Amino acid sequence: MEAIFSRPALACASRAVNPLHPAATAATTSSARLLFFTNTNAIGVPATVRHASTSRRHRRMLRIPPHPSFLTKPDTDQIIFNPPSSAPSVYHTPFKFLPKSDPRRRAALASELFSQPSASTQTQSSSNPADILTQYDQMNPPKGDFNVEDIPPLRQDLQPPSNPRHHLTKEDIEEMRRLRAEDPIKNSVLSLARRFNCSKLFVLMCCKTTPEHAKRIREREEKIRARWGPVKRAAREERQIRKEMILRGEL
Amino acid sequence: MKRLRLDRWTSHLLAARPSGAPVCTSMAPGASASVSVSLRSRSSPARYQSTAAPAASAPSSTTPNPDKLINVPEDPEFYEGLNLERFPPLEKLPPKVTKLPSPHPDRALKSAKLAALHARLSLPQKLPLQTLARALVDASADENPLFNNTNLAFVGQTIINYHVAEMLMVRYPRLPMNILYAAMKGYAGPTALHHVARSWGIEHTTAPGGEVDPGLLQFSLHNPGKALVTFGYRRAELEGVKKYKWRHGLSSRVVFDDDFGELVDDQEDAERKAAELKQRSDTEYGNAYTRELAERAYANACRAIVGAVYAHCGREPVKAFVKAHILSRTLDLEKLFAFHVPTRELSMLCAREDFEPPVARLLSETGRLSRTPVFVVGIFSGKDKLGEGAASSLEHARTKAAINALKAWYLYSPGEHVRVPSDMLAEDARPWEPVYIDIGEVVAR
Repeated sequence: MEAIFSRPALACASRAVNPLHPAATAATTSSARLLFFTNTNAIGVPATVRHASTSRRHRRMLRIPPHPSFLTKPDTDQIIFNPPSSAPSVYHTPFKFLPKSDPRRRAALASELFSQPSASTQTQSSSNPADILTQYDQMNPPKGDFNVEDIPPLRQDLQPPSNPRHHLTKEDIEEMRRLRAEDPIKNSVLSLARRFNCSKLFVLMCCKTTPEHAKRIREREEKIRARWGPVKRAAREERQIRKEMILRGEL
Repeated sequence: MKRLRLDRWTSHLLAARPSGAPVCTSMAPGASASVSVSLRSRSSPARYQSTAAPAASAPSSTTPNPDKLINVPEDPEFYEGLNLERFPPLEKLPPKVTKLPSPHPDRALKSAKLAALHARLSLPQKLPLQTLARALVDASADENPLFNNTNLAFVGQTIINYHVAEMLMVRYPRLPMNILYAAMKGYAGPTALHHVARSWGIEHTTAPGGEVDPGLLQFSLHNPGKALVTFGYRRAELEGVKKYKWRHGLSSRVVFDDDFGELVDDQEDAERKAAELKQRSDTEYGNAYTRELAERAYANACRAIVGAVYAHCGREPVKAFVKAHILSRTLDLEKLFAFHVPTRELSMLCAREDFEPPVARLLSETGRLSRTPVFVVGIFSGKDKLGEGAASSLEHARTKAAINALKAWYLYSPGEHVRVPSDMLAEDARPWEPVYIDIGEVVAR
């Protein structure tokens, strides 16, 4: 420990070099970036970046100040309640699921009606713990699940791919069934889906194959499955088990 | 450290069994007593922790016959079938006691185990020890319904099932029927009641008979006994359901099956199946068959004690008793759910309830390109968040969020201390306020 405290100037320099250090203040960060880029862009000269090469420098680098929520306001008696983040309990019913007669629904509506608009958040950084704490309070106003101000945007990778357009008529579906029954190999599900510009699921919902074709397909799949090695088979079985566990809520 | 007062714990045993440790049966009684005494004195003479022990052992060396202490008559038929040398009786037994299938009710007053059980459960004084003793005699031990616990167990079963069903339906009004059945079984099923009876400290005999202590649970491993009568009917298509797994939907289960939604079976084939296991029960220490018999006997004893409380004390004490011992147990209802297609079920729920269709949104993520990413996905209906799930892939997190949203719907509770209909049976009950009743299931199961 005395080694850490004996040479503060060097420690400060090593911290300033690391641009990702969270404890670095704004001024030192900018200077560190400057230093960093000049080093990498130097003309053939080996960079003299100070890494966390020794255990002392590494320890120094890892030493970060406590989270603002752990800092107490001076001259006040308070209890720090800072539980680790956890998944919300399913026993907590969302506002929308509360029945009309439930008193919690009325209480949530009333609190929403009489609540004050939240103060604008400040982004000034300060080293004073009390200031950091007030800043933290402003950034995280207490809010229930009813009032979700910032709903994240929709994303393509989370939405179900199908978007039903309802563009096929009854005649189209009859035609699809006729084609499918005529030659199930030529008119496969995929080709019918392309031809009628619909999803494969919709084709499957409309058409029922002949038993011979279904048997042929099943046999072919079984042949393919028989060629699997032990690793692939175990992986598939495990995937199936995992899927069932997810649906039981065990994973 | 506090001194363990062994004399208090063991003085009654020492007084009743002067010859001390079990002795070899091949020796004569007089020789055995002297041998045991001499052994004891040779090994560690100064280890007595109580003053009662030497006092009790002193006369044993002078009186060789241990039966003299409890005045056993010399009639050989009196204790027929008992090995008195190996198992000296702790009390004076009535004549021809081994002829009886279960202990005589008069002996209940002398049983320390029964009195201890009565005190441990804080049973009311109105409940006599004789009834408590009868509650511990299973139908497999004594077939006479005047002396076994069948009638009490039937009463107890109806009371327990009523209170559990009432509590679940009022406290969780949206539970689907199959989850409700599973929860019923979790609270009032044979396994749960078996654990309750075990936790009460009830012990069982190896084999039932008239000479055993009435404070022990008595059931037979050789005689399966008659199953407890339940509500429900034996289905006409029972064989087809069992053999070909015919569909029997939940609506028919409500009508035909028992309180846990299980088929009412007259157990003919169960006996056939158990014949082989029964053979093994003689040779092995324990197997699935013996465990099942024990579980059933313990559950029936638990039900019978509840029935006895009702029979002697009435409605309110039995309600308090059931609440204290059965409803107070923790059952995590969340663990009972299993879904088929949770996202579709949630869409159907939102359509039924006129909510906006549910959409999944990414609340936060970390390490998308790493080996261990975490995605937190929320399911929103309009501006309200219905559920949230964190997992290592987007699809998994979306499924989890949908499952959590559905569980939040199904596990809605108006409160822990909501009033149940049986509260109205009290004399000074407040006027009844209607409880919340859900319109029904989202998907057919």
